[in-house]
Amino acid sequence: MSLLALTGIWKRFGATIALAGADFALAEGEVHALVGANGAGKSTLSRIISGHIQPDRGEIRLAGRVLGHTSSRDAIRSGIAMVTQETSLAPDLSVLENIMLPRMGMPGRLQWQRLRRQARDLLAELGQEERLSLDVPVSSLSIGQRQMVEILKALALDSRIIIFDEPTASLSPLESEMLFGIIRALAGRGHGVIFVSHRLEEIFAVTDRITVLREGRVAAAGVPTDRLAPPELVRLMVGREVSDIYARAGRVQTVPGGVVLRVQHLCSPPQVKDVSFEVRAGEIVALAGLVGAGRSETVETIFGLRRATSGTIIFDGKPFYPRSPQDAIRAGIGLIPEDRRRQGIVPDFSVRENLLLAHLGHHRGFGLAYEKRMAAARSLFDLLGLPEQRLLDANMLTFSGGMQQKVILARWLLLAPKLLLLDEPTRGVDIGTRSAIYSLLRRIAAEGIAVLVVSSDFEEVIGLADRIVVMSDGVSVTEIPGDLVDIENLAMFAAPRSSAQRTRSLLEELTESYGGVAYWIGVDGKRLFCFDRVGEDAAADPGFRSGGFVEIGASRIAAAIARMDHGFVLEPDGSRASILVPIRGRRGHDMGMIGLTVDARRPLPDAASVRARVESATVPAALGSANFSVAA
Amino acid sequence: MSTTVAEARPRRSIARWLITQIEIRMLLLTLVVMAGLSAVSSYFLTANNLLNAMDQSVVVGMVALGQTLVILIGGIDLSVGSLAGVTGMVLGLSIPHLGLYGAMALALASGAFAGLINGTLITFGRVAPFVVTLGMMSIGRSMAYVISGANSIGDLPPALGRLSTDVIFGLPVNFATLLVLYAATWWFLSRAKGGRTLYAIGSNAEAARVAGLSIRLWSVLAYVFSGLMSAVAAIFLASRILSIDPIGGNGLELDAIAAVVIGGASLFGGRGSIIGTLFGVFIMVFIRNGLNLLNVSPYWQGTAIGSIIIAAVLVERLLSGRMRG
Repeated sequence: MSLLALTGIWKRFGATIALAGADFALAEGEVHALVGANGAGKSTLSRIISGHIQPDRGEIRLAGRVLGHTSSRDAIRSGIAMVTQETSLAPDLSVLENIMLPRMGMPGRLQWQRLRRQARDLLAELGQEERLSLDVPVSSLSIGQRQMVEILKALALDSRIIIFDEPTASLSPLESEMLFGIIRALAGRGHGVIFVSHRLEEIFAVTDRITVLREGRVAAAGVPTDRLAPPELVRLMVGREVSDIYARAGRVQTVPGGVVLRVQHLCSPPQVKDVSFEVRAGEIVALAGLVGAGRSETVETIFGLRRATSGTIIFDGKPFYPRSPQDAIRAGIGLIPEDRRRQGIVPDFSVRENLLLAHLGHHRGFGLAYEKRMAAARSLFDLLGLPEQRLLDANMLTFSGGMQQKVILARWLLLAPKLLLLDEPTRGVDIGTRSAIYSLLRRIAAEGIAVLVVSSDFEEVIGLADRIVVMSDGVSVTEIPGDLVDIENLAMFAAPRSSAQRTRSLLEELTESYGGVAYWIGVDGKRLFCFDRVGEDAAADPGFRSGGFVEIGASRIAAAIARMDHGFVLEPDGSRASILVPIRGRRGHDMGMIGLTVDARRPLPDAASVRARVESATVPAALGSANFSVAA
Repeated sequence: MSTTVAEARPRRSIARWLITQIEIRMLLLTLVVMAGLSAVSSYFLTANNLLNAMDQSVVVGMVALGQTLVILIGGIDLSVGSLAGVTGMVLGLSIPHLGLYGAMALALASGAFAGLINGTLITFGRVAPFVVTLGMMSIGRSMAYVISGANSIGDLPPALGRLSTDVIFGLPVNFATLLVLYAATWWFLSRAKGGRTLYAIGSNAEAARVAGLSIRLWSVLAYVFSGLMSAVAAIFLASRILSIDPIGGNGLELDAIAAVVIGGASLFGGRGSIIGTLFGVFIMVFIRNGLNLLNVSPYWQGTAIGSIIIAAVLVERLLSGRMRG
């Protein structure tokens, strides 16, 4: 018997049918993915399960008993909780108060001591006691920590069923991984977990079964995840074949034109500390990194939403210091902001006026001059596959995320910018539209527009960009061609400098004790990436610098990498000897290796003691508190 | 809600379309109020009384015009009544020195200046509009007493009075001016960049800023305009009663805000219409006028008007909610 069974659920909003007879069944102890393109009805279904909205028709059974909950409070009582995308926390209350918030809606007196003990036990159970204090206000927490509070809130209610609605939308890859660990642990304890997402990698990483919704109906019900291949899942979601969503096939190798934007040592405190890169005409450059690395702030500075305190921006060959977005727009820059709802859409305007909003900012006259852009607007709508009559629609908020993003894109393309900045352009956008956006970006780049994309989705970054600028803690740490790097090494570069601090002190310790050059590297096939390096001894130079990447054969530690010995390995020319110690993250994933290269003409240090040094330094991982350990 | 599948547009008849337009709904509501009042009082629909109502709608109409722009950007201007008081005083005191037209210019300039202070503090000082204009309301009222020594001014030039008594195109000059200003503002709000910017600021200021609109400039100008319109109202108030009192314009801000809200504007900004406000003014004036005709005690009139404001807005919300669904 299923823990939860929904049959024949119908729901309509006005003229829109969101669910047309959907079924869903959840078993105990499983993670069940609820997937579908935007507008497929997965959010509606999860909100029906959580009691936020009521179905028009259909039956919900919880452990065989028919459930008629009419509010989210009823759902909470029956043991169903939802962890939402927009967090529903009270920012001024403490973590503990937030965790216990649903209790306040229940009869009886609150027993704070008991609640505190309970919260502490839950934290310990999830291994989070060091990451989260119960007494700080929620407003001081990171997005990842806030989500943790939401999860604790659900657990504190002793929920049997927990719904995660796009939980990773604003998490860094490493925070996401931590969340997946917790989700697996919840399922292991017998909770039923519903995982709503449209990120394929996540679905395959964490779920046991998949239910696919398409246009309000079930396209696949409870298929075991391991029996489904990603292309098949995409086909089920979209209803047709989507091959090569990054449009690599259509990628024309164009020679980039002149430099459109050159940023040197840009500083705009507190988030942007020292950023340098350039973008050429016809090129797609990605600013990759974790949430909080200062990428959005960098593009906002270029766009005039923030002031630079030092550094230079050269745009179109001239120094450029925009004092407002208007300056940037009139100079030929467009920005598709991260938060569509907050920074993009004017909800009381028709689609037409939303489309023409940047035109209005660009226009210098007193009137509107809408007519002169309408012909261009119509052809853009055609290009984006948007029906023209939708232009007259009153409310953009009734559109799916993908449609909204297309309108915002059209808003800027209308002005024919020289440089287009896009901040997380595919967040909350279904896979069909994502693919359309990628090919559109290729197309406008081919037309000679310089494109700068900010993205936390490393797969997207690698798939889309010609060149990747990696940022970490407000500093641009390296620059790599898009086809030369893989996701793991990109993540390592993007690791926050602050938490890589202990790796750095280990490297410093090694050079101090043994001389030579110490480094932290990752190896990917024939290539080697250097995440950090300490020591300037020219006689022990390993052949790469911090933030650099080289062919292994071109480095001076090729023999050491080939042998992977426990002791020092002498390079064929006899000049250098290197020792490499692989390190792993707490959950056993590869974190690259720590190496030490010394001048071989001097006596070699004792290999065992070097290894012991690395092993004993319990280096905190790039991810906050997950610990390194030396691979056995 | 982003979960939309078949976003089929329901076919709408012209009648349905008309009723979705706030202006049409307001017109209907105004006609209903007029019909109701003429049913209970035979004097209501006489030319004399309608002229009287027009006359009464001028002062509150002028202030409501400025208030509409401020409310459209999500602000509020509580200082309009007391600014009408103090600019009226400026007008009266400077007529002997500057002549009528010089004094009118000075009154308008001082109203706009007070609005500039409001707008600058709100936009650049980031103080809540409610707080800034509440402070300005108190300052304005106090300044009216200070500069007048708490005396009213009686002997005003007859040319000022003619603003209320002369007739142009069959309408009193003051009422005709009101209609012209409303028409010009309607054009500005729907056809000019600044007007659309005001709507965009109220609806989503951050999105407007990212799109390059000059949101600070237009936010300040909305308050400047509101201050200016307070002075315009003060001139017409003085013209109507041919006397200027430091207490003049008392309570005008509440009538103006009520008219804007009855006219369908959202106090959160971004939604509202200048024609809606005009009908809101008419409804307020008709009801007050009707209550007088019916000899309702002034003590009870406040209760009646307050209830009607709440009821009108409630009905409007229910109607527009149904239309949108």
